[in-house]
Amino acid sequence: MADLDFSAHRQAVHLTDEDIARHKRFVGLEAADLPRIAAVRPIVMERVDELTTMFFDFLRGLDVATPLFRRGDLLDEAKRMKREHLIAMVGGVYDRAYVELQLELGLLYSKVGLDTRVFPGAFYHLMNTVGAIVMANAGDDPQKAFQNFMAVKKIGFLDIGLMIDIMAAEREQTISIQQEAIRELSTPVLQIRDGLLILPIIGTLDSFRAKQLTDSLLRAIRANRAKMVVMDITGVAAVDSRVANHLIQTVAASRLMGATVIVTGLSGDVAQALVSLGVDLGTLNTVGDLQGGLELAERRLGYRIARQADSSLETA
Amino acid sequence: MPVMGDDGITVTIANESDIVTARQMGRALSEQVGFQGSDLTIIATAISEIARNIVTYAQRGEIVLRPVTANSRRGVVVVARDDGPGIPDIARAMQDGYSTGKTLGLGLPGARRLMDEFEIQSEVGVGTIVTMRKWLRR
Ligand SMILES: Nc1ncnc2c1ncn2[C@@H]1O[C@H](COP(=O)(O)OP(=O)(O)O)[C@@H](O)[C@H]1O
Ligand SMILES: [Mg+2]
Repeated sequence: MADLDFSAHRQAVHLTDEDIARHKRFVGLEAADLPRIAAVRPIVMERVDELTTMFFDFLRGLDVATPLFRRGDLLDEAKRMKREHLIAMVGGVYDRAYVELQLELGLLYSKVGLDTRVFPGAFYHLMNTVGAIVMANAGDDPQKAFQNFMAVKKIGFLDIGLMIDIMAAEREQTISIQQEAIRELSTPVLQIRDGLLILPIIGTLDSFRAKQLTDSLLRAIRANRAKMVVMDITGVAAVDSRVANHLIQTVAASRLMGATVIVTGLSGDVAQALVSLGVDLGTLNTVGDLQGGLELAERRLGYRIARQADSSLETA
Repeated sequence: MPVMGDDGITVTIANESDIVTARQMGRALSEQVGFQGSDLTIIATAISEIARNIVTYAQRGEIVLRPVTANSRRGVVVVARDDGPGIPDIARAMQDGYSTGKTLGLGLPGARRLMDEFEIQSEVGVGTIVTMRKWLRR
């Protein structure tokens, strides 16, 4: 299950070669930086375990990072990947594979529900430590050591830029998943009495959604042995010939299943415009508002609606 | 996002929600021009039909909405443009019930009935332009 989520996620977060090149331009990474990074490589490689441990010690101190430390297996995996990332940072090759590594690490973090926003801080801390080590090993040319460190720092900023892109893409994906969920939720079929369903339609009604809606209505009619359906279209954003056609077809299909549909919320103006278009509304049972539709449906089902005399209301 | 300029409001049409936007913009503009009640729904419905045709048959295009004045009459003009496949036989497409999309085939002829003026130009492989006007009753 989790693996499935993983790959779905990964597909959404996709950085092209052009994206990577753009990030490199942003941080001003140039050919001259590569030998400088190479000079730092042995210093970092010698302390790669120490640096990895430090990075996670820093995270451990943050409340928000607790979920990661509760998952021993994933923590080990994260440490392994972070170590690999540190090696790659001074590796001199910043291509798709480099970005992939970071993506995987990011996915792992999001798997434990770790807020990605803690990383710029942890990362900054890491870079400071690397800087201190590089300067401590400067020997007799501190200016050169500083230049070398500045080149490595560009990779640090490159990473942060990539991280932001990944976060933005993830968020966009979340939003589109939520929108889809809202669309689904906005076509609930509710049983309000024995044999009576209510279907409030909200938003736009494209062909795909119209089909979805018809399917779920027919399923509900069968499951509830419904005889009457009140379909309220007050919330439909744009009623035109195509929407009217969907409604007419849904009504016809429901009838075949043995249920009568009452359409409510069709305003007089809209009905008039549809008739001018040439739409035959003759097969539609329409009632002005939802309340009226429900009352009619209940009467047809044999319920007797009576207002209860409530004396307490009058004397209050 | 609709763009407001000297020559009216331009709404890019590429999906379902753009149709809603075009309708709402058309309604708001018509109200400003002085249309009321059922006329607003009539104009919005006509816009809806041609916008939906763009999404269905041409995938994308645009709708320009503008106030117009001619012979001291005021009104609105709606121009729908796309670079889609075009319509091979306009006369047929304008007939009630003709549809290549298995739908009601009422969009074009219906929009013509709803509006006061209706022109359609279309060329296969080039695209389609529909121009519609509605005048305020004096
Ligand atoms: N913008 C367009 N581009 C290409 N073809 C179109 C366009 N608008 C309409 N058509 C053609 O004209 C036919 C009739 O359109 P319409 O009257 O709106 O009915 P419907 O959309 O139900 O088919 C369509 O089936 C389609 O073949
Ligand atoms: Mg149409």
